[in-house]
Amino acid sequence: MTANRTHLLPVEPSEDCLRSANPSRIPTPIGTGVRSHTGRPTRIRWFRAHQSVWSTCCSRWQPTRTDQPATTTPWWLARRRAHRFGHGDQEHGDDGSGTDGVLAAVRERAREVHARLGHQHDVCAVEFVGSTGGGKTALAERLIDRWDCRVGVICGDVAGEDDARRYREHGVPVVNVTTGRECHLDPQRIDDALDTLDLEDLDTLVIENVGNMVCPADFPLGATVRLLVVSPTEGDDVVRKHPLLFQSVDAAVVNKVDIADAVGADTDRMVADAAEVAPDLPVFRTSVETGRGIENLAAMLQTHREHGHHHA
Amino acid sequence: MHELSIAHRLVDRAVETARDADADQIDRLSVALGEATHVAADQLRFCLDAAVVDTPADGATVDIERVPPAGRCGCGWSGEPRRLDATIAAPNRRCPECGERIELTAGDDCRLTQIETS
Repeated sequence: MTANRTHLLPVEPSEDCLRSANPSRIPTPIGTGVRSHTGRPTRIRWFRAHQSVWSTCCSRWQPTRTDQPATTTPWWLARRRAHRFGHGDQEHGDDGSGTDGVLAAVRERAREVHARLGHQHDVCAVEFVGSTGGGKTALAERLIDRWDCRVGVICGDVAGEDDARRYREHGVPVVNVTTGRECHLDPQRIDDALDTLDLEDLDTLVIENVGNMVCPADFPLGATVRLLVVSPTEGDDVVRKHPLLFQSVDAAVVNKVDIADAVGADTDRMVADAAEVAPDLPVFRTSVETGRGIENLAAMLQTHREHGHHHA
Repeated sequence: MHELSIAHRLVDRAVETARDADADQIDRLSVALGEATHVAADQLRFCLDAAVVDTPADGATVDIERVPPAGRCGCGWSGEPRRLDATIAAPNRRCPECGERIELTAGDDCRLTQIETS
């Protein structure tokens, strides 16, 4: 650029430009104003625009400044632009199935894991989720002993091999996933773990999530059935304290019902709370010690195995 | 704890978009955060401040907008669901019209809505 010339820059994108990028949507400015990012005021107009269409904030024509080093972009050419990302509800109807956001992308990844397991290899995956000490591992062990099929296990913990060691004693292939800093498994870790299992040799996969009642609510793994295990030792208000996790699962288990009286917990309240927080959620009362309810739980999982189901 | 991994994904998306647009610097990141998630806005902001370091978004202003849950039901109802109670942000998943379980259509995601570049 030659110094001391006047350059005209567009004040705003032409409507034609926006129309051609997205003919179905005629842009409407939703606000105007003056903004300064870098100390220089800039006239802006905001547009509600579709993905890939930029709303804009451009300067009116500006005179050249001659004190600008020649090697850098002249300040009047350094256009500030805004890039809007599409709304899920606009791009995908109002079904919320967009992959725009980070958590929607996690759900999409979980669907891919589900397709790999269920559709490509006909493996029924049962995820056990719940707090540490609720009895996830013991319940899964009891089911593994009952199941008359080929079982594999992926178990997640922040650290250690304790659960993996227990599962290996049942003679099943086990992948131990230590998450290190993360408080939950995610679909990518499951996909990586699946690489180390021979899926053709499996009918059922047990996935034990990290003991955590919070984060897994945002991170489905793609299992056929997501099973939440709680117990009276967590307090009979545990359901109300973790509504989003209850809303993310396919079934729930109130485990250790044999010790409910000893710890003063009302399991009726837990079951009623689950019905309120997550309408139509199947809830089972079990005890690994006495065997109560295990048969009903196994029958429900068998139904899922035969009909397939996915909760993302 | 998962705010950091979410922050990294948001920054990756922003940097990719800026690169595609031949922009050198990202001045502002706008994020829409659903209330029916376990992502905490304050922690996300903290993690974004860390995640942008040494990227084109270094020093960018972060705007976080909270998105209330929205839902719909097979009976035709749609709207903002009631909350379970005053202390919990979780939506009441029972349809106020027919009592069936509703599906969420908004408020369960964390999404980059806009970046400003220069």
